[in-house]
Amino acid sequence: MEASPEDFFTPAVPLDFVYNYRVGTYIERYLEGFKEKKILASRCGDCGKVAVPPRMYCGPCNGRMEELLEVSQQGSLENFTIGHVLLEKGAVKAAPSPYMLGLIKLDGADSLLLARVEGVNAGAGALGMRVRAVWKDEVGGDYNDLDHFEPA
Amino acid sequence: MDKKVAIAGYRMKGACDLITTRERLTFELTRGLFDDLGIDRHYVDTVIFSTNDFLDGRTISNVFLDPPAGAYLKDESKVEMDGLNALMYAFMRIQSGEYESALLVALSLCGYQVSPYLYIEYTLNPAYDRQLGLLNELSAAGLQAQSFLSKYGYSEDLIDEIAAQNLRNAALNPDQARGMNDASGKDVKQSPYLYEPLRELHTYPATDGGCAVLLVSEDKAGELTDKPVWVLGMGQSIETYYLGERGLYESRSTREAAERAYRMAGIDDPKRKVDFAEVSSLFAPQEPILCEALGLYDPGGAAAAYGGDNDISGSLPINPSGGPLGAHPICATGLFRLNEAVKQLRGEAGKNQVKKAEVAVVHAQDGVCAQQNAVVVLGT
Repeated sequence: MEASPEDFFTPAVPLDFVYNYRVGTYIERYLEGFKEKKILASRCGDCGKVAVPPRMYCGPCNGRMEELLEVSQQGSLENFTIGHVLLEKGAVKAAPSPYMLGLIKLDGADSLLLARVEGVNAGAGALGMRVRAVWKDEVGGDYNDLDHFEPA
Repeated sequence: MDKKVAIAGYRMKGACDLITTRERLTFELTRGLFDDLGIDRHYVDTVIFSTNDFLDGRTISNVFLDPPAGAYLKDESKVEMDGLNALMYAFMRIQSGEYESALLVALSLCGYQVSPYLYIEYTLNPAYDRQLGLLNELSAAGLQAQSFLSKYGYSEDLIDEIAAQNLRNAALNPDQARGMNDASGKDVKQSPYLYEPLRELHTYPATDGGCAVLLVSEDKAGELTDKPVWVLGMGQSIETYYLGERGLYESRSTREAAERAYRMAGIDDPKRKVDFAEVSSLFAPQEPILCEALGLYDPGGAAAAYGGDNDISGSLPINPSGGPLGAHPICATGLFRLNEAVKQLRGEAGKNQVKKAEVAVVHAQDGVCAQQNAVVVLGT
């Protein structure tokens, strides 16, 4: 079945086009909130669960999440991983230095928010540590305005 | 169950670099299977592909695969998920009484032609996760591994040993793309971290490959084989996409899928009734999470189970084939698990053969951290 690799002609076949996604009004509002350094969430009218970033529909109970509310900028670090690599278009590259990604339970929210974490050692005591949001100096409603979390 | 459905035969091929085309691979697998069974394409009532448009770099990617699979002017369709879902679809068609045979063809070429990590990257929420750029298949697997270890207080030694066991088993198996003779937990620990605690050798290899499987009615099974393997039960389930709303240390959707499959198979005590399992753990830390969800041991029981019970010669072998750490041809991985179980149930697994093989449970996953799961129970 197999030829030798040298005999195998492999022209590049790019998929080079751009989608223009509608993110929906809740993510628009979430990013608007970033301009005022606020973290917005949505609450389910049926089960009362609070999701951040906000969504319009509750997965577990299929309820409408019509109430937008601000949640705390502080919370606890519930899970984390130390990245030693970066993925660039599917290729694994060494990271310039190890970095922490954390899942954070903000006070007042039921879901966990994925974010970069700085200043926390990965050893015992990291899980459950209180952390707070650190914003970029200049915020403009961009996904990365909420820069990272650090020990509170 | 009113009509029994059997697996009559299969062909599979996996390698880290398979120098071939998708069309040629499809032809070799399906024509090879026809030759094995002494049939031709006219024997097949319906053909179901399991491939992925994104990975194939073209939409409706099965359009080129129909002729090499012998599907010309036949009833043909495609499932854009792991092939174990195609098997469920085929099973229902045969149970309907309108079809006597169904050919499954599942494949992808992710060895060198396209990175497998792009597959998950492009499943991520385009309006949020892809914009933020923090989540990818490996960082998600690192978070899942950490969640599991910290939930039960396990050390990384456990997942190193699980990886080593799979790599050792894979080295014995000629159908695997990668294996490591005599691999030890120490060997695994020497491989670099990707996202702690996830290391390179905890992770599936980029794989080219695919398989063809023929499902038939009970009447046809008698014509084709004296060792039919029966599909006894099946179930599927999906949970939320959002990692922040899941307990990553568990797989609730696998548990739901397994309960459905066991109920259909009439199995009320999987720990005692299941002889071995083939699970699609793409990363070593997923294996105990999935096996707990499959009811093979209790939550928190992994450390005891990996003291020897789960090895090839143990009382409840898990991935005696070496599992996806030996090969992960996306879309075909669940059917690879099925084929490995068929080998065991027929007593044809060679050096990987387990002692008792009458009932097997087979698992497949799709999505980030096994968001969607499929479970099939097989028996002799």
